Amino acid sequence: MSAITTAFGLVFQPSVLVTILLAAIFGLVVGAIPGLTATMAIALLVPVTFFMDPVPAVGAMVTCSAMAIFAGDIPGTLLRIPGTPASAAYTDEAYTMTRNGEGEIALGANLLFSVIGGLFGTVVLILSAPVLAEVALQFSSFEYFWLALLGLTCAVFIGTASPVKGLVSLFIGLFVSTIGLNNPAGVPRFTFGNTELTGGVNFIAAMIGLFAVSEVFRFVISRSVQATPQAVVGNLFRGWGRMIVQYWRQQVRGNVLGTIIGALPGAGADIAAWVSYAVSKRLSRTPEKFGKGHVEGIVESTSANNAALAGAWVPALVFGIPGDSITAIVIGVLYLKNMNPGPTIFLENPQYIYAVFIIFILANLVMLPLGWAAIKGARTILRIPREILMPCILMFCIVGAFAINNSAFGVAVMLVFGVLGFLMEENDIPVAPCILGIVLGPMLEENFVTSMIKSDGSFLAFFERPIAAGLGVATLLVWFVPVLLAALRSRQAAIPREG
Amino acid sequence: MRVNDAVIGILLLAFAIATFAYARTLPAIPGQEYGAAVFPMLIAVGLGGCGVVLVASGLRHWQGAVVWSDWARTHHSWTKLAVVVGLVMTYILTASTIGFVPVSILVLLIFLMMMRVRWWIAAAAAIATTMLIQQTFGGLLRVPLPLGLLGP
Repeated sequence: MSAITTAFGLVFQPSVLVTILLAAIFGLVVGAIPGLTATMAIALLVPVTFFMDPVPAVGAMVTCSAMAIFAGDIPGTLLRIPGTPASAAYTDEAYTMTRNGEGEIALGANLLFSVIGGLFGTVVLILSAPVLAEVALQFSSFEYFWLALLGLTCAVFIGTASPVKGLVSLFIGLFVSTIGLNNPAGVPRFTFGNTELTGGVNFIAAMIGLFAVSEVFRFVISRSVQATPQAVVGNLFRGWGRMIVQYWRQQVRGNVLGTIIGALPGAGADIAAWVSYAVSKRLSRTPEKFGKGHVEGIVESTSANNAALAGAWVPALVFGIPGDSITAIVIGVLYLKNMNPGPTIFLENPQYIYAVFIIFILANLVMLPLGWAAIKGARTILRIPREILMPCILMFCIVGAFAINNSAFGVAVMLVFGVLGFLMEENDIPVAPCILGIVLGPMLEENFVTSMIKSDGSFLAFFERPIAAGLGVATLLVWFVPVLLAALRSRQAAIPREG
Repeated sequence: MRVNDAVIGILLLAFAIATFAYARTLPAIPGQEYGAAVFPMLIAVGLGGCGVVLVASGLRHWQGAVVWSDWARTHHSWTKLAVVVGLVMTYILTASTIGFVPVSILVLLIFLMMMRVRWWIAAAAAIATTMLIQQTFGGLLRVPLPLGLLGP
């Protein structure tokens, strides 16, 4: 009980609450501006959290990401441009509703079900994380190796259009993680005598480059003209009671599916929203209404993307395996704050875990008033000229990358990854697996080498412990089932032609 | 600007071979079979494998080494990209000697003017942003932003 009391004490301090409030406003504004993603919001926030205590740092990131994912719905509804990729699944639907004069219903549904989805995901996080941590205490290097590999595998096969290009991104990330002295033998690798590189490639600088600087490059070459948003005049709270009652099934389904997809390593809020929208349409009694300004699919998928955020924290806190690119960044920050994720944190520093839970609940509750204010102020936010905003963002990126080690080397790393991220996205190579590779690389290598030494080089040892075997089989299934299915399908397609 | 998969594949393959060759030179831990070299070698094998697959698929859909998208056909876009990269490099090379404040104002001013922001708005935005960063990062968070010429 005392840990919970301590946690309340840690969170309910004026400085922490003000930090959370500021992070919330920042997340809302960044999420609402098209071209600036939730991940970018976190990337810009990390250099600032660097200088905070663990609890406000985590609080700022949790709140900022929740707000940004919700706020992405606003420009989607008013401009038909999703503010973050997580809103893309139902942007057309929401915009059609606005054109039909039902914009306030769409935005009201976005706000209401984002809050409910977020709270549902939080409850699952609170209930499941400690239980899983008990199990995880029994884990050895074999289990952790498979978990890390399963996480990376999911990132490649679930989150990407082309698994080969996802793999390329992943291997680039893993390669980057090998640079420096941080390896089982402690020898410098790929440093070529550069003393700055012996410490490894700083992941914060890399991430600012991949997620923020690459967006600046993309903006520079884009020819999009800033559109004027549609106006929303009506009462946002109209029809809330009716929607909760009428669409309770959709909500529950969206919440559950969102949390599960979020908890799957490598798949985050955007995939949760796409899958939920598709499921909603397939199971709907009136699928013909979808795409014509019908709120049903929005309810389900907007619940899912916010539920996914909390779901992603389950593997992140319990195993140190990120559920999506946002938690990948968070895990890096947790290590910096000596809040190393993993089952032992539940024993050694339970007050931090409870503090995270409390912050999650708080963040979702303050979303109601702040989200309402953001919708009301949307026209102003969307009028901020992006040609002024983007140069300023670049300067914040530079200073953020500099602040990590107070050296210009961080800025150079940021620039290299900015160019790399830009080129990768231009060629449909996703960047999310790359950041997961950088974060999980050291864990994967350490557990692999330790396991190989323990087992005297026998691969069979990786399947000898029951949980390790289960995880191993699951990983191999994700690898081989799609290949087998594709082979089967091509055989079936070939048979009638032969006959 | 879409580079054909085959070209990307060949680049990856070359990179993978170089990585593999370098990793082989890493010293082993005495008495252990698995040391610093194993993981980079596995990554190199994986990257090389992806390279081969990309070469195969790229050759099947060959439409030239590079397919230029709309933006890449204009000099304009390339110049803008080069200017942004150049501005960041200018910051890296000069900030420590000249100082954060002047370099930041200059970088912002050039970038803003390039985006066709009117000069007085650009100047105001450049100065305001620089001051904001100086106050928050330099003042509040105590990041030692280089003083350069303004220093003692």
